[in-house]
Amino acid sequence: MSDQFLSGHMLDMFVFETTQLLEQLEACILDAEKDGFYSGNAINEIFRIMHTIKGSSAMMRYDGISSLAHSIEDLFYLLREGSSCDVEYSELSDLVLAGVDFIKAQIESIKSGGAAVGDASKLIADNRAFLARLKGSEPGNREPAKQETDTAEPGPDHAGQEQDLARQDDPSGSKYINSFRAVIRFQEDCEMENLRAFSVIHNLEEVAGGIRHVPEDLMSPDASEVIRRDGFTISFRTDCSYVDIHQLLMQTVFLKELELEQTDESEAAQEAGITKPSAGERTADPGEDRAADYGMQSISRDHTSHQNIISVPVAKLDKLMDLMGEFVIAEAMVIQNPDLDGLELNNFQKAAQRLNKITKEIQDMVMSIRMVPLAATFQKMKRVVRDMCKKLGKEADLVIIGEETEVDKNIIEHISDPLVHLVRNALDHGIESTQERLAAGKDKKGTITLEAKSAGGDVLIIVRDDGRGLDREKILQKAREKGMLYRPESEMTDREVFNLILLPSFSTRDDVTEFSGRGVGMDVVVKNIEAIGGSVILDSTPNAGTTVTLKIPLTLAIIDGMNIKVGKAIFTLPTISIKESFRPQAGEAFTDPEGNEMIMVRGNCYPILRMHQYYNISTDITDFTEGIMIMVEHDEKTLCIFADELLGQQQIVVKSLPEYIRQFRKVKGLAGCTLLGDGNISLILDIGGLIYGKDSK
Amino acid sequence: MKRVLIVDDAAFMRASIRTILERNGFEVVGEAENGAIGVKKYQELHPDIVTMDITMPEMTGLEALKQIRSFDPDAKVIMITAMGQEHLVKEAILSGAKSFIVKPFKEDHVIQTLKKI
Repeated sequence: MSDQFLSGHMLDMFVFETTQLLEQLEACILDAEKDGFYSGNAINEIFRIMHTIKGSSAMMRYDGISSLAHSIEDLFYLLREGSSCDVEYSELSDLVLAGVDFIKAQIESIKSGGAAVGDASKLIADNRAFLARLKGSEPGNREPAKQETDTAEPGPDHAGQEQDLARQDDPSGSKYINSFRAVIRFQEDCEMENLRAFSVIHNLEEVAGGIRHVPEDLMSPDASEVIRRDGFTISFRTDCSYVDIHQLLMQTVFLKELELEQTDESEAAQEAGITKPSAGERTADPGEDRAADYGMQSISRDHTSHQNIISVPVAKLDKLMDLMGEFVIAEAMVIQNPDLDGLELNNFQKAAQRLNKITKEIQDMVMSIRMVPLAATFQKMKRVVRDMCKKLGKEADLVIIGEETEVDKNIIEHISDPLVHLVRNALDHGIESTQERLAAGKDKKGTITLEAKSAGGDVLIIVRDDGRGLDREKILQKAREKGMLYRPESEMTDREVFNLILLPSFSTRDDVTEFSGRGVGMDVVVKNIEAIGGSVILDSTPNAGTTVTLKIPLTLAIIDGMNIKVGKAIFTLPTISIKESFRPQAGEAFTDPEGNEMIMVRGNCYPILRMHQYYNISTDITDFTEGIMIMVEHDEKTLCIFADELLGQQQIVVKSLPEYIRQFRKVKGLAGCTLLGDGNISLILDIGGLIYGKDSK
Repeated sequence: MKRVLIVDDAAFMRASIRTILERNGFEVVGEAENGAIGVKKYQELHPDIVTMDITMPEMTGLEALKQIRSFDPDAKVIMITAMGQEHLVKEAILSGAKSFIVKPFKEDHVIQTLKKI
């Protein structure tokens, strides 16, 4: 029946839940490792998670995952039951994490439509070897029960139960009037025959005594095998009639065959048909029932506070977001419809305002649905730090601040890889070896801080290490070799030098390590972050560490924009980057010796960018005093954009430029385009691009 | 129509069991993700049958079984178990579980078990 599960909903569910469990598991192990030992809770949780994964993957017929999970479950079963004094915790963590990685890889493959074909036998063998050693080191070297799964270790109350059984063997059954002998055969594939037999005995005990059965010890490892082969034979005495007993035994689940014979002579008693109520028919005392009810309610009241959460496919949210964008445009098309120009429409204006307000509320809600806390992404870094430290022989702690900060789901996906890269860089290049740190008078353990915070419309994600910092000389030397210097070295600020490493194909490390030097460097990080409209800022102090700040817009799709007009063209600026706009007085602007136009505002000098010149647009307004100056800021750099006039502010939906425009001609300074209310297309300016584009001109 | 409460910490398992039951004319009246919630839902919903996973957080299936049986000795609880949990199953039977289903289960097995009790 697994076949019907292999696709669609159940598969999604399996992937989703297993992924979540693995994350929990990983966090659990990393915490335990930090504390230096596995607490009872941790062991229980890991055991449970593995147990669940084992069950689910077996249902899906992913046998590799299932048996691997099983072997780990066994390990933790032993830890849970037994003494856990001499456990090599670090080795245990390695084993479990290797298992987690394997299952993750399988899940990835399943997710992308592949099969789970990986071979887990080596990992399983490792786990078994470790298990064997654990058992060996246990006091008294006691062998756990020899079930095929090794996990059925006798519980503490086991002995008591055996006594229960023994008591039933007591010939006290002689007080009953009828004797029976029954042979029960179960269906072939019903599994756990011994326990099914046990269940039969348990039911019989209600009405019978002097019960004997073959095989005698139902909990012995070969009991199931014997029952499968020879059937389960019971003899007992009871007051019930043949019909009653037959009926009782016929209720056995997975019964294939029942032979029942009466072995004594008291047929008369059988005719009398004395019956006893069976367990299933016994009626409860209603008063007692109610009393128990009350007791239970007071206990369970604590558990009522679980949240109602539904999971929704991301694709639907994306679609919702798209529709929201269209909705905003449509709204603008209605409210700013050119047909309305010059009309006095009081009621319409009122209705339009209301529509506008509600649209905004819906939009905020749609956005908030897509917001996800960074916690999961940050927690993943713990594993990265752990693995790196182990491989590189360094010591470092990861401090996480502000993991509850929320960003758009899309953004999470884009920053995960860059973050891994940055954290690896910090450990590989930043944090020094223990000796080096001690020599420099630092704490022998390095610290990597991962911080997230909101700043206006942006989220700042900061990766900070307290390592050796960036080496200005080394960077310059490398840049010289590669011919990347575009200005005299002495004129470059530290920051400019550091920013060199953000350029493509720059890597200060000569030897390529497994982690951070795969020929790709910081430029990949920059590319990824820029793809979502963010930027990367580097700062470093020698011997005190390096800080990389990722500045990422909260959301991508809908932003507040200011429309400006240049000639016949309309451009849109993200409102968030506008500092102010003003009409300059004559004489405030001047030209420097190189021909760059500058303007003096409150004692500071800012460069001017004439839009009509930059994009070759013909316009009548070329005099500063007739147009408008818009001061924009990006990365702490400021630029004054000169345009004809401001058209007004509105919400805009960012659409990427059509493929052919991006392919054939890379137009500088454009971030995308948007549809205006009147149906016109406006180009969205990329402030960063304009500022840097002007620099390099 | 038999009314069933599914208690299992794995959403995947709950969905699997639900799919099977609903396809075979059972009504799934509720789901619970641990023993404690299971006990509470039992009191609210009074299902005819409960399928109860053994290994769960907060409160195990065994504990939940015992609690349910303590206020409703007629409760029909079927344990969902896996190979290797034989001793827990035994304890469950001693505590009044009507039967058990071994993971990974087959549709036919689940239905047979539920119909039989």
